[in-house]
Amino acid sequence: MVSPRFGPFQFDTSAEGWLGRGTNVEGHAWLRQYVALHEIHVSAITVIERIRGYSSLWSRADRLNRERIEAARIAYLNNLGRVWPLDAAVAVVAGEIVALVPEPPSPPRRSHRLIESRQERLARWRFDAMIAATALVAGMTLIHNNAADFESIRGAIERSPTRFPNLGPLELIRCTSLA
Amino acid sequence: MQFVRQSVMTLKRPTQSTPKKRRTTLTLPADILQEAEGIARARQVNVSTVIAEALSDGLRLQTAAERAEHIIEGYKNAFSGFSDDEMAILDGVILEEDARR
Repeated sequence: MVSPRFGPFQFDTSAEGWLGRGTNVEGHAWLRQYVALHEIHVSAITVIERIRGYSSLWSRADRLNRERIEAARIAYLNNLGRVWPLDAAVAVVAGEIVALVPEPPSPPRRSHRLIESRQERLARWRFDAMIAATALVAGMTLIHNNAADFESIRGAIERSPTRFPNLGPLELIRCTSLA
Repeated sequence: MQFVRQSVMTLKRPTQSTPKKRRTTLTLPADILQEAEGIARARQVNVSTVIAEALSDGLRLQTAAERAEHIIEGYKNAFSGFSDDEMAILDGVILEEDARR
């Protein structure tokens, strides 16, 4: 159990989705306590991923579903908390991370009939590096739902501290262990 | 430059705004009023100060709770009604039909 009082925290895209969707009762209750105390902090990269997702679903949907997706997108944008920019410091740190770990640590995602292309997997890995870099530069703990990727980033930072002067360690908490 | 800025900042007189006050009459439960009077005596302040602080804390909690409900409702509207695959796409995982199938 991680007390929401220890926040504010920064949230990775999938962690924000997992907590906000409310399918996990304990996680949702934790989020309710957290937002009574703090803002939701996300990287600008999370906004890119999310809006790209809404747009991708919208372009595949029929007219009726498009209205529903657009309403959901507006609800998301109206609900945005603190968005951390991708500035020069974050860019430098993200560049160091992807240089140290150029390949995604975990394989492309797949579901019943769908698969993530290798190109998409690489892009998502680089986005994760930028999200981790944002948390590292902000000095905030990152709540995530992707242990394989973010633990690899933490390990790389710890093994090469000279590449990240005056920064780190990258503090991580998996969203499933919050409540 | 930094020194100049610091010097200017030291010269500035700190401005402390006193919140405007209004006289009013409240009807409070006797036990609560008694408790407030006890606190006021112990802290050597008047009862109005104790009541104002308690009310201010209560209002802050109420505002925070309302904000929290608003955010939770916003997330519900942003993420409900999507399948697991669609939610993965919203989380940045762009999935396509598996061409090998």
